[in-house]
Amino acid sequence: MSESTPAMTKDHGCALMNQYADNNSQAESPLVNIKWSNSAQPTVVARELSLMGHITLRGKPDDEAFLAAAEKVLGVALPGRLKSVESGEYVIRWLTPDQWLITLPGVHAFALEQSLRDNLSGHYQVVNVSGGQTLLMLSGANAENVLMKSVHYDIHERNFPVGKVVNTNFAKAGCTLRRVGAQEFELVIRRSFADYIAAWIQDSAAEYGFAFDSM
Amino acid sequence: MAQVNRIPSGGRINRGKPLTFTYNGKQFSGYEGDTLASALLANGVNIIGRSFKYSRPRGIIAAGAEEPNAVMQVGASEATQIPNVRATQQALYGGLVCSAVAGWPNVDFDLMSYIGKIGGKMMPPGFYYKTFMGPAGMWPTYEKYIRKAAGLGKASKELDVDIYDHFSRHADVVIVGAGPTGLAAAQAAASSGARVILADEQEEFGGSLLHSKQSINGKPAAEWVAEVIAELAANKNVLLLPRATVNGLHDHNFLTIHERLTDHIADRAPSVNGVQQARQRIHKVRAHWVVLATGAQERPIVFGNNDIPGVMLASAVTTYINRYGVVPGNKLVVGTANDDGYEAAIAWQEAGREVAAIVDSRPSANGDRVKQAQALGIKVIFGSVVYDAAGQARVKSAKISAISADGKKLSGQKQTISCDTIATSGGWSPVVHLSCHSGPRPVWDKKIFGFVPGETHEHRLIAGGIRGHYELSDCLSEGQNAGVQAAEACGFKAATPRSGYQVAKTKTTSPMELYIAPHDQPLSRAPKQFVDFQNDVTAGGIELAIREGFESIEHVKRYTALGFGTDQGKLGNINGMAIAAQVRGLTIPEVGTTVFRPNYTPVTFGAIAGRHCGELFDPKRYTAMHSWHVAHGALFEDVGQWKRPWYYPKAGESMQDSLNREVLAVRNSVGILDASTLGKIDIQGKDAREFLGRIYTNAWAKLGVGKCRYGLMCGEDGMVFDDGVTSCLADNHFLMTTTTGGAARVLEWLELYHQTEWPELEVFMTSVTDHWATMTISGPNSRKLLAQLTSDIDLDKDGFKFMDWRAGTVAGVPARVFRISFTGELSYEINVPANYGLQVWNKLMEVGAQYDITPYGTEVMHILRAEKGFIIAGQDTDGSVTPYDLGMGWAVSMNKEFSFIGKRGMNRQDPTRDNRKQLVGIKTKNPSVVLTEGMAAINSKQFKVPAEILGHVTSSYYSATLGRSIAMGVIKNGLNRMGETVYYPQIDGTVIEAEICSPVFYDPKGDRQNV
Repeated sequence: MSESTPAMTKDHGCALMNQYADNNSQAESPLVNIKWSNSAQPTVVARELSLMGHITLRGKPDDEAFLAAAEKVLGVALPGRLKSVESGEYVIRWLTPDQWLITLPGVHAFALEQSLRDNLSGHYQVVNVSGGQTLLMLSGANAENVLMKSVHYDIHERNFPVGKVVNTNFAKAGCTLRRVGAQEFELVIRRSFADYIAAWIQDSAAEYGFAFDSM
Repeated sequence: MAQVNRIPSGGRINRGKPLTFTYNGKQFSGYEGDTLASALLANGVNIIGRSFKYSRPRGIIAAGAEEPNAVMQVGASEATQIPNVRATQQALYGGLVCSAVAGWPNVDFDLMSYIGKIGGKMMPPGFYYKTFMGPAGMWPTYEKYIRKAAGLGKASKELDVDIYDHFSRHADVVIVGAGPTGLAAAQAAASSGARVILADEQEEFGGSLLHSKQSINGKPAAEWVAEVIAELAANKNVLLLPRATVNGLHDHNFLTIHERLTDHIADRAPSVNGVQQARQRIHKVRAHWVVLATGAQERPIVFGNNDIPGVMLASAVTTYINRYGVVPGNKLVVGTANDDGYEAAIAWQEAGREVAAIVDSRPSANGDRVKQAQALGIKVIFGSVVYDAAGQARVKSAKISAISADGKKLSGQKQTISCDTIATSGGWSPVVHLSCHSGPRPVWDKKIFGFVPGETHEHRLIAGGIRGHYELSDCLSEGQNAGVQAAEACGFKAATPRSGYQVAKTKTTSPMELYIAPHDQPLSRAPKQFVDFQNDVTAGGIELAIREGFESIEHVKRYTALGFGTDQGKLGNINGMAIAAQVRGLTIPEVGTTVFRPNYTPVTFGAIAGRHCGELFDPKRYTAMHSWHVAHGALFEDVGQWKRPWYYPKAGESMQDSLNREVLAVRNSVGILDASTLGKIDIQGKDAREFLGRIYTNAWAKLGVGKCRYGLMCGEDGMVFDDGVTSCLADNHFLMTTTTGGAARVLEWLELYHQTEWPELEVFMTSVTDHWATMTISGPNSRKLLAQLTSDIDLDKDGFKFMDWRAGTVAGVPARVFRISFTGELSYEINVPANYGLQVWNKLMEVGAQYDITPYGTEVMHILRAEKGFIIAGQDTDGSVTPYDLGMGWAVSMNKEFSFIGKRGMNRQDPTRDNRKQLVGIKTKNPSVVLTEGMAAINSKQFKVPAEILGHVTSSYYSATLGRSIAMGVIKNGLNRMGETVYYPQIDGTVIEAEICSPVFYDPKGDRQNV
């Protein structure tokens, strides 16, 4: 749990820290306190992929060494503008021209961070942001309608096909939105806004019938 | 009550579904498919309001959005009131309750009518400016009565029980208007596969075809409409929005569309499966291309007493008969300057009622409709006008006269024809409103006597009536072409090239340009010739305004109120401009138009707010420990969008009791604060240190790994805008903290400077505010407490010093612990990934019980830091304060190799002059008196207003630690005035005496935080 020793990794001038507790049983997702009210015939279903590892990776898109090293670690090239890729247990989303979000099982976040730091050099940043956000999946026949009530971006499948990622508003908060299926979307939402976003989704989806799938 | 004006068959109403409704307290009946206006007319209701200024009785004139008089207050209960609904646009539903907006105390007999009788003299144009010049204090009184009498509707006094929402939409082609033009455009565009939205303000799509007797492709027009709608509805790329008014067409084809989802069904939006439905919805639409197919509105001919109930638009009469099966009178006179007016007479006659005459201003005409009317035996009087009317509650007769060839004078024989309805048609005004919203001025087209849309650089097309092209075959082909063209411009190809539409062409005779019928009296002496009905603007009033020097049409508008009402001059503006032109001897294009602005028709506040109200008004941000705070009785304070615990009162405690207890707990044992809301930014890169040196005012080059440092950030102007502690995690790795409210702004600030000024610096920054839950334990027992929860962090006072940080495990969870202090006590800020925040907090509370650990909120945090003289950026600073003004010159390093933001700004002449306001401590002479924040300081106890203000109080509290009040504030030259007395006058005239002192009230040497 302590700072890594120099013996473990090369000296990259950054503090490396395993942020995953040995006993993770009491960890709480940002949505832990939401009271969901489920309707009998939902056409909008939400579920959370909770307590995932979230790693932000930054580097210059024209830095060939950076791109190559990232690809080596991730097993796939970093996705370009507004794209995402999946590789093994990683889902990698383009966020901005020099920023990507990688999600993976929380328990593996530290290993990925280590591996990235071991392989990357020069101008880059790796940050564990796992506690600060969560993945909320929204699916169903009326999921698009809920999103049209919530985000300004054009989510029609012609403009927003499966795999596309966009950072946009969600009502008065923000989200990273990705289409994962014809009727399924993934929202990366910030912890502190989770209650607001959950309340907004339940309100927007009420007319269509809503349920939270706690799996 | 019998529907005296309902004909036994015809129209689009459902006679099998009678509906009852209440108007002005009386029950009436109508049918499904009626508008409120058609139902009122069916029942023979003549008067639906009193006019704004003269309180003259008014009736329904039009059948659509241009209706100026039939403005209703709709709602069966206080909570469901909607003001200013046009009866012509309100679908009838069973149980509808409404009353006329105008008319006080009631429309049939009202007080104002007595004033109205003499009102011509009493209320000339500019009446308000002239009459209510003073005294200013009387305005609220005047306004109350003017508003009440004027009838602007009333807002509900109760919370709206309905909900409203918003949709963001995107389309390739948005078509505005679903008349023949719009439908043809939609059909063509949709066939290409483009994403199409078709919006229309009416209950049904079809526009003029809903009351037309024409046929398309050999079928009745209404059948063609039904076919096209069915085809469009089956296309998944098409969104049909009936009952949806495009109220604004903004820059870059952003449209705001107001859809009324349930206003046609019931007083309140019904619940479906127990879920309340939205009553109205605003669609915020971005379109690649917009096709305006908004059509045209008929222009009445102005004549004397033209506001008597029973005077209507000719096309409205046709619509009421053909679409609603209502003949709004018994005996009709039509006054027209074109062939279209004849349709009203033909429909009237065919409905079995009497047409007294068609009065056509043209010397002759022989178009198809003229012949048809004559064939029906209707008397046509050419070369004549209706120049005056008689009647009070209803038209009794029309005065007819021949006119001169130029239409400017009456000439020859006059006659009076008895009738109860006068329908006029002066031609058509294209509905150009939307085309003007983003800037272009409309252009006068002298061929059609109307304004058409001006040039635009936006991706827009216009087709049909809006271009002044009214022939059905033209509308259909132009619509079709526009639909194809718009779709192709979006990269689609219309699937099947369609042949033209087969429509019988109507032969017509050219219309005559006529806006106002001449009278035998001059404008100023003639009976009132109304131009704008809602604002009681007459032709004489316009002439008077011009005579008084208000010549520009914009001045005429403001002086007379022409075009100001909820109808925005849809009916009267062109006539008003024509009259102004006539008076000034100019042409209409020389007079010009006023500006059209959104919204086209009124929008309810509920629709504008959408779901952004009540609990969902604004995001509420919570920390990972929020549930604990709630469970333990915290009261909350809003800090930005965060809900932070303010204080934790125990049963029976006052606020001050609670604060005193929390303060003393920190000073004497240990307190705990949820500090998770502090902005936190992870900064990495080999140039991170250099970057910090440029952002902060102080030096960062030598901060060692494991160390923390406080820093000030200034804007370019040298004024403090944020502060916080930044820690060196590793050589190229820093964690910056910011104020709670400043977090997002600071991150943007860093990115701005990195991206635009210093892209060569190898540094990246990422927000970790939400990732880390932060709990501060503070007080002499905090080390003992922490020691019980960690085994891998050495807490020795010399190994882990003040302003150091360490990583390790706290309560079994990975943590970074920062020994920094905002209280002046021995303090540790424990940061853990937020998923573990609550469990660590719980553990601290559990183990801390032996020290009586006490949670404290933001209020006590403020008191504790004020006892130590620590500033809060944004409270003790206000954007006009340099570090030197704060007495914090120690936090500025003028010797850095590279400059820093604010260096030049703070060295300008003004920030370096003498006598600036400087932050000092303030001690009241009477220790129990607590100054109020914001109080102004002056130099002497005796003063005259205005006195020189030395500064103001920025922070003020009662300090339980010191047993007295403490305050901080700015005082001119304060740092050099230690020990001097200043005075704070209060509203009650008394003055509080206080002494200027150091802002560090407690433990000035800092022994307590260094233990």
